[in-house]
Amino acid sequence: MDVITRVNELLENEKTFCLATVIASDSAEILVGSKVVVLGDGSLEGGVKSPSLNVALRDQALSAINNRKSCSAEIKAGVRVFFNVLCSEARLLICGAGHIAIPLARFANDVGFSVTVLDDRSDFAYPSRFPDCTTVAENFTIALRDMALGPSSYVVIITRGHEHDVDCLMEILPKEAAYVGLIGSRRRVGFVLQWLEEKGFSKKLLKSVYTPIGIPVGAESPQEIALSIVSELVCVRRKGNAQARALRAAVGIEL
Amino acid sequence: MTDQEIFQKLADLKNQGIDSTLATIVETSGSTPRGVGAKMIICADGTSFGSVGGGCGESEVKSAALRCLLSTQTPELVEVSLLDDLGTRGGDVCGGRMLLFVEPL
Repeated sequence: MDVITRVNELLENEKTFCLATVIASDSAEILVGSKVVVLGDGSLEGGVKSPSLNVALRDQALSAINNRKSCSAEIKAGVRVFFNVLCSEARLLICGAGHIAIPLARFANDVGFSVTVLDDRSDFAYPSRFPDCTTVAENFTIALRDMALGPSSYVVIITRGHEHDVDCLMEILPKEAAYVGLIGSRRRVGFVLQWLEEKGFSKKLLKSVYTPIGIPVGAESPQEIALSIVSELVCVRRKGNAQARALRAAVGIEL
Repeated sequence: MTDQEIFQKLADLKNQGIDSTLATIVETSGSTPRGVGAKMIICADGTSFGSVGGGCGESEVKSAALRCLLSTQTPELVEVSLLDDLGTRGGDVCGGRMLLFVEPL
């Protein structure tokens, strides 16, 4: 299997790993351009013709994976390697296939999220309404119960009614996700959060939900709201939660 | 384009028998439009996918890519300086340098 095929296979399987490439070498043994895949458990696929260099290469690759930061480094005098940390595309799950979901799915797709749209109404969640997305038309609770989420999952809850918001959050909150956002007025989200608190969800967990949703740009139309939500998703993906929270705090959303 | 889209595109091009090069930013210093890991694919007809920052810096990378694809067949490191004076028309004035690895695949 060539290295590109292998990289694609690992990305499809949602692995985080390191692709190490020799970018400079003064040794005839170690060719510029040669590549080694280093997996998170430290196993090497491919390698250079020197056991001691392979150890150095593995150690550096693992440190890059742990820091989630690509870098280049000299593993021996005259031999420079680029350690590229690769992980699979962020996935966005949109619960609710109404007006906002259309531009939201489109914008999110454009900035590199792999998008799934879920709604219990099959006349809303259907493929031609959401080009290049996966659509699921099923009861929220049932669909979410079987859906795997993880550290690269982003969830936006924009259902048509607060009772569906509750159904979605009941299933989503116990799972791991990079981001969970909930749309709604203060009254509506206040009701949803209070109800969930009474059901036993901790205040801390409920506070982790981004609500009201989106970077505060004064959005009004569905397209503007979608833009504000996607901006927040990009911020969390690129800069992490702290920066997204800081932007909200700047206008008094986070109290 | 995300890394995943770049690698899928590389596989597609390979399946179609189209020769391509991959340019990756491997080091940066100062202000650069994209960071370490940003990638661009350049095909023999000049078509490109993804971006390593646009502007004149990117066209230097394209030239290097075509050179290694059509003539040398060997990877090369290209240093792009974005330190032009602010008065330079169409200049690269971001204020940093970046090192790119350009490889035929």
